[in-house]
Amino acid sequence: MFSSKAKLVLPLVILILASLSTTTVLAHGAKIEYTINTVVEIMAAYDSGEPMADAQVTVYAPSDLETPWLTGTTDDEGRFTFTPDPEITGTWDVQVRQAGHGDIVHIAIGEGVASTGSTGFTTLQIVLMSASVIWGFVGTALYFSRRKA
Amino acid sequence: MHIPDGILPAAASVAGYATTAGATWYSIRKINESENPQESVPKAALLTAAFFVASWIHIPIPPTSVHLVLNGLLGVVLGYYAFPAILIGLFFQAVMFQHGGLTSLGVNAAMMGIPALLAYFVFQLRFHLKLGDNRVWTGIFGFLGGALGLGIAVLVAFTILITTIPGSMDVAAERSSIMALTLAHAPLILIEGLFTALIVVFLQRVKPELLEAS
Repeated sequence: MFSSKAKLVLPLVILILASLSTTTVLAHGAKIEYTINTVVEIMAAYDSGEPMADAQVTVYAPSDLETPWLTGTTDDEGRFTFTPDPEITGTWDVQVRQAGHGDIVHIAIGEGVASTGSTGFTTLQIVLMSASVIWGFVGTALYFSRRKA
Repeated sequence: MHIPDGILPAAASVAGYATTAGATWYSIRKINESENPQESVPKAALLTAAFFVASWIHIPIPPTSVHLVLNGLLGVVLGYYAFPAILIGLFFQAVMFQHGGLTSLGVNAAMMGIPALLAYFVFQLRFHLKLGDNRVWTGIFGFLGGALGLGIAVLVAFTILITTIPGSMDVAAERSSIMALTLAHAPLILIEGLFTALIVVFLQRVKPELLEAS
């Protein structure tokens, strides 16, 4: 009879111990918060295709376009990354400059904006634009060299 | 060589435009003094086209690459037409390709156009020295004009850039990269000088009236 009682108590004790140990684990619970930060990656190259290595980068936040928000230099491949402050939405200006050459790119930071952009043209666009302008010059030459009727 | 937008302070842009306006007025007045001002327009238009595309022709000079400018050539061949030609060429380069920029157009035109006029005066010296009919001397003066035109422009660009580095930048690094770029133009000065010499020698052989003093 006694032995059957002990059999019943033992699992109970184990159950209580187990539940005690569970509460201790809960006190170590983790809490995770998240914010999505946009990292902007800049690739700067000359129009000859050569990367702008070690060029100086100046980042201006939309809140203050006079003083640089961040300065830095590009790596050997003309790459530069920075994390803009998500609180400051608007158009961020990034200037890449080397030896008096360079460009400014305007990057819109905020909701629903394009995730890529560039300041250059495609080869086809360049060829077309050059051809039209050259034709303008040739046309001018032809006009002024026409025979007087 | 083309200074883009956003590099120079506003005062420099204004001064550049003022200089360009003066030089354009002077050139046009000189062109109007000639017997038939329209006579050289076809020549000027074609060379403007050459100038316009020249900035796409890159010459690798390690560690960088430079592009043709041809302002000396335009000065030597066009004379007073060179300044308006360069101004128009630069305008289209700025609008189409962002080579240079609209705010810096005045600075760029003065920087390349006035040395082009100087190149013309150097090339005309051969008449004063009574060497105008000699093909070898035409070549030599062509070389001098082409090389000096670009050489002076490079020096002016160097001076403008090195004196206007904004304080927010790493000034020493920018200064050394401006130095490197200026030095990279030394071989280009020789190349454009030779190119100009070849063209004037060729023109003197096939169409010498194009090179007459105007």
